[in-house]
Amino acid sequence: MNLRELQNLVYRSITDPDGTKERVGEERGLAPGVLVALIHGDERLSAFERVNIYADAYFYRLLECLGEDFPTTLAVLGEDNFAALVRGYLLEYRPTEPSIVYAGLYLADFLNRHPFSERWPFVAELARLERAVLDVFHAADAPALRVEALRAIPSGEWPAVKLRAHPAVEIVHGEWRITDLLDAVEHGREWTDPEHREASVLVWRQNALVHYRSLEPVERDALVLVSKGASLAAVCEAVAAGAQETNHVGLIGHLLARWLADGIIMPSDATLATSVRDGFPSTGT
Amino acid sequence: MNCLDFGPLGFGVGLRRPHYAPILDAHPTMDWFEVISENFMVEGGRPLQILEDVRAHYPIVMHGVSLSIGSSDPLNRTYLDALRCAARRFKPAWVSDHLCWTGVNGRNLHDLLPLPYTEETVRHVANRIRQIQEILERTILIENVSSYMAFRSSRLEEWEFLTAVAEEADCAILLDINNVFVNAFNHRFDALRYIDAIPADRVVQLHLAGHSDHGSYLLDTHDHPIRPEVWALYEHAVRRFGRVSTLIEWDDNIPEFEVLAAAAEEARRRCDFALASERVHKAG
Repeated sequence: MNLRELQNLVYRSITDPDGTKERVGEERGLAPGVLVALIHGDERLSAFERVNIYADAYFYRLLECLGEDFPTTLAVLGEDNFAALVRGYLLEYRPTEPSIVYAGLYLADFLNRHPFSERWPFVAELARLERAVLDVFHAADAPALRVEALRAIPSGEWPAVKLRAHPAVEIVHGEWRITDLLDAVEHGREWTDPEHREASVLVWRQNALVHYRSLEPVERDALVLVSKGASLAAVCEAVAAGAQETNHVGLIGHLLARWLADGIIMPSDATLATSVRDGFPSTGT
Repeated sequence: MNCLDFGPLGFGVGLRRPHYAPILDAHPTMDWFEVISENFMVEGGRPLQILEDVRAHYPIVMHGVSLSIGSSDPLNRTYLDALRCAARRFKPAWVSDHLCWTGVNGRNLHDLLPLPYTEETVRHVANRIRQIQEILERTILIENVSSYMAFRSSRLEEWEFLTAVAEEADCAILLDINNVFVNAFNHRFDALRYIDAIPADRVVQLHLAGHSDHGSYLLDTHDHPIRPEVWALYEHAVRRFGRVSTLIEWDDNIPEFEVLAAAAEEARRRCDFALASERVHKAG
């Protein structure tokens, strides 16, 4: 048996739920007792028991990691259900990346098709939001647009200013009001099932901390435009079209001030970016 | 490999999340820190800020867990380029990883699996290390892993395998004293024989850590204080290898920073004592 065949067999033995049973060797067309033939055993530990040490370590290491990455999902499902979820998840989505940070990348997709979503219909969205928090935490650094840089531009040129979302920003769309649940578990409070109502959540990073808040439809639509790279004029038009109040200018000013304060928008235009670098220090995240 | 490229750093500890605040706030006395490379091979955010701050005040080394030197998969060029980029940014004293494999067929077990100790594996691994060193533009350290299984196809002892790989690849060795002790129990060999067989001129760093006793085997958990037997093995290693950079590993049930710092000072004291007693022994 060459190195590749040996490593494939050991991998299968570690990750298959019945991997250390002889049946696995038989399924692969190998003689019975294949693990015994490959791996030393003794009166203290058989070959199977030795491989089982790695099998247990594989599962429990990833279970712990995913529990840390999805603490609210874990709280909702409970430990036993979460462990069962992870066991099934790892069979379908075997880790491929060098960093264990990516192990839970597809957990929300898996939950979408999982029977647990019948009992907890919001849980896939919850996992998606928790994943967004993790992704934003590790997202690229970049200088955010500051109010001083905007004020340095003649007001007549503002409509043409092009904006884009900071790389450490995500908008998560869904059908459930998840943020209260997330906040309750994070702060150790009792939680209730979220309201079944269309919701969008802004997740962003500022000063190395990740924040999230619900978005009203007007702000959501405006930020979606920004995320695709839009001019300030286009953003203002979207706000005006979607707002129920008549004071569109006040609303636009309020939103823009909040986005600048939160550091979630960047200049998309090279000229404006230069003025940001040359004249004004970036907030950075 | 020129061991002079690896100046002794002294006695350090692993940089772990629970200690970020006390380290960044007070910049306590510590010779150096070892960081897990993959934790800082990210696009942005707090981890990079933290490492920038730590690096500004202390020497660091980068210790990886995903190089998978012994895999039968091709080298992961994306990973290596990211590692090289991180090393250029943070300027570690050296870069290390493990003599093991972590996955196959593009899948990752996130564990450090042992290899069959054969001449063929030596050639395979040494060839990969040479390529890695060329890509990273530096000599790397390879660490002996703890293990719970051994392959019947092995024809070399573990220490012979480690030595052969290091010499054929012309790389350095990070000798984990706790792993030697754990493996000596799990696979029934003499730990002193292992230490005595390793080429002294290739050992650049030592690891010390705790383990858990499961009766029929020892598990390398890095969640306990260093056992007296491991301290004794460390002193034997110091008498053999000299004042080699020594690191305290503690990765789970992590205590207050002061506990790790005290362990680093304990290592320094034992190193001083071992070398002094060796001088007395030779003079006598």
